[in-house]
Amino acid sequence: MVKMPILDLKQDYFTLFGLNLSFDIDTRKLHSEQQRLQSVFHPDRFVNGSDREKRLSVQQASWINQAYETLSNPVKRTRYMLELNGVDMNDESETTADTEFLTEQISLREEMEACHVNPNPLDCCEQIAQKLDSKSHQYSAEFKIFYQQGDLNSARQSSRKMQFIQRVAEQLSELQFELEEEFG
Amino acid sequence: MSLLQISEPGQSTAPHQHRYSAGIDLGTTNSLIATVRNGEATTLADASNQHLLPSIVYLGKDKKLVGRAAQEMQAIDPLNTISSVKRLMGRGIEDVSRLGNNLLYRFETDSHSSVPRIQTDSGLVSAVEVSAEILKTLATRAELALDDDLSGVVITVPAYFDDAQRQATRDAARLANLNVFRLLNEPTAAAVAYGLDQDNDGVIAVYDLGGGTFDISILRLNKGVFEVLATGGDSALGGDDMDHALGEWILLQAEFKEVDAILARKVLIAAREAKEFLTLNKSAHIHIEHDKHRWQGTISREKMDELILHLIKKTLKSCRRVLRDANLSKQEIGEVVMVGGSTRVPLVGQMVGDFFDRKPMADLDPDRVVAIGAAIQANVLAGNQPDAEMLLLDVLPLSLSIETMGGLSEKIISRNTPIPVSRAQEFTTFKDGQTSMSIHVLQGERELVSDCRSLARFELRGFPPLVAGAARIRVSYQVDADGLMSVRAEETTSGITADIVVKPSYGLTDSEIESMLRDSMDHARDDVSARMLKEQQVESRRVIEAIDTALAADGDSLLSQKEIEDIIQARDNLAGLIETACADKLKKSIKLLEKISEPYVAKRMNASVQHMLTGKRINEINLK
Repeated sequence: MVKMPILDLKQDYFTLFGLNLSFDIDTRKLHSEQQRLQSVFHPDRFVNGSDREKRLSVQQASWINQAYETLSNPVKRTRYMLELNGVDMNDESETTADTEFLTEQISLREEMEACHVNPNPLDCCEQIAQKLDSKSHQYSAEFKIFYQQGDLNSARQSSRKMQFIQRVAEQLSELQFELEEEFG
Repeated sequence: MSLLQISEPGQSTAPHQHRYSAGIDLGTTNSLIATVRNGEATTLADASNQHLLPSIVYLGKDKKLVGRAAQEMQAIDPLNTISSVKRLMGRGIEDVSRLGNNLLYRFETDSHSSVPRIQTDSGLVSAVEVSAEILKTLATRAELALDDDLSGVVITVPAYFDDAQRQATRDAARLANLNVFRLLNEPTAAAVAYGLDQDNDGVIAVYDLGGGTFDISILRLNKGVFEVLATGGDSALGGDDMDHALGEWILLQAEFKEVDAILARKVLIAAREAKEFLTLNKSAHIHIEHDKHRWQGTISREKMDELILHLIKKTLKSCRRVLRDANLSKQEIGEVVMVGGSTRVPLVGQMVGDFFDRKPMADLDPDRVVAIGAAIQANVLAGNQPDAEMLLLDVLPLSLSIETMGGLSEKIISRNTPIPVSRAQEFTTFKDGQTSMSIHVLQGERELVSDCRSLARFELRGFPPLVAGAARIRVSYQVDADGLMSVRAEETTSGITADIVVKPSYGLTDSEIESMLRDSMDHARDDVSARMLKEQQVESRRVIEAIDTALAADGDSLLSQKEIEDIIQARDNLAGLIETACADKLKKSIKLLEKISEPYVAKRMNASVQHMLTGKRINEINLK
């Protein structure tokens, strides 16, 4: 029987995967380290272990999966980086005062609505998708700069903008799927 | 008892205790059991050399039949012959009434349980109990074939099974007294069966259309790691639905005046036979006869294709969704693997091939591939391949949510999240002195609670009375590697762990399972004596074989004629008792044979040691 290895759950996710604490990460290394860690900690390795070992392995494997998911998703990655710096990301009640960004959000949603009645709905969606793509690049570039400068408050604003864009992108993806089923 | 088992040094007969394990495919139509022997995974056959066990259980008055024998009762006594029970696993009363016209049984519902029971002549039974009978039959088949107990099993489930359906499968295994290493998703099992043979890395799609369920999974294979990227499907779509589509067409043509349960069953059986015949033939003849009802006709493959087209289109929609979830295009899929008996229908292969734009792989028997993959995984989990690098990383098939204000659902864990996984949420109280709250957990993708599947309601009780908003209740959800969820709650300011009262929406409660286990204890006495007899029979055969082998090898050189005769007499005596004597008598007879053989064993031991030392130089013999 394999001896139960114990993970240090206090270490940060970047350290866990042997990555530098930065927005730009080596996603290949992240993926291969994730598989290496799971091959050690996954519950399948402890099916004949004691109840304690089984429980521990479920907890540790879950923690690795959570760490992996956090770092693979760019929005979650920015939020996590800010949390590591003591920024409270849980306060969802706060509204953004950036009127320019708000206007942009509203117009993106209006454009999406308009795709329903567009003669070429799939092309319409594709255009918005490209726009979202460039926006998300823009905000993540801003995040990196603010974060490096230590301007955590501005970095936090950029992270929230990224999150908005991601939500719109998810809705757009769902719309595209529906339209493809209808017209494709 | 280590009688007469002498081996050369360094050639021990049991260098590592092999732990027998098995993979079980508990299917809607057929079930199988497979195991790894001599490094090869194979499905096991019954006494009449049949590998597929029809998932049918007959529960008549004082008579219980499983498999082919039960299948023969289908048209004679349809109300007591339970088939396709997998469709009822983890399902509630409403689900059953929705499936209503497809199921011919009499259901009984009572207020004490959320699980529907089927009325049979041997009493009320749940789907879990019926499944347990199938599992027991398979396990007995394996133990007879292996002459040994199973240390554990891997049972496969459709990837798209929700928590309640998985829990029901676990419960059935518990009733059947099986140690379950893991519930394994069917497409993942199929990928293992294919992947290890072919050793090809890359992205594959597994299209699994069984009797009652459809799964589509996308996996990435990389050096023995099987990583599920996304999974989707329909846990109520399969070959059964094709049979019903054909059956309805037959009823339409035949214009029977009234259709009773037996006639309906005969129509379905005829529909299934026609469907299977059309796999290799262009048209099928159908003949139905029951009482004064009689019809015969012909159905062409084109007609059948037309009747089932909508069902296959439904599967392709799931394929598109799962590709989107995996963020892959069709071109990025390396291979498409076909699994499940229903993929034998020519239109299925053709439409799936057209969709993915490549010829689907069906090299392995689509009926057996899942059981074989499960057996390979079970063998690794049993610890028989300590250096195996195989690792299966699966995902949650359906999002987990909780009910929020206004009948809306809020996602806690999204579908296709790798498992095991855990999430925590914080709640607070909205009334002064509040000491309890209830949480409704759902599974599904829809916004409205009523469109999702209710998994359970949790009542959290016993946290300290504080002013509104002061309490912090942290609720943790844990999904394990089987895809099963558990919940824990704690008031974080006081550290008090809340009591959780779980009301599974569609599952058996622990006390229900316990009472079923108690009921089965009534039969357990019979089971125990039958088992002891079986063990002694196995032991008798082993001892006789050992004696025969030894006598053939060195009997003449080590023993006098008299000694040989005495041993052979005791041996023949035991051999004559195997099939007829009770366990105790066999045990005594084995003891007697062992006693008589004792001097022989000693002589063999000496001869063996001498043989080992003969012709060796002193420094070759390790005296330490």
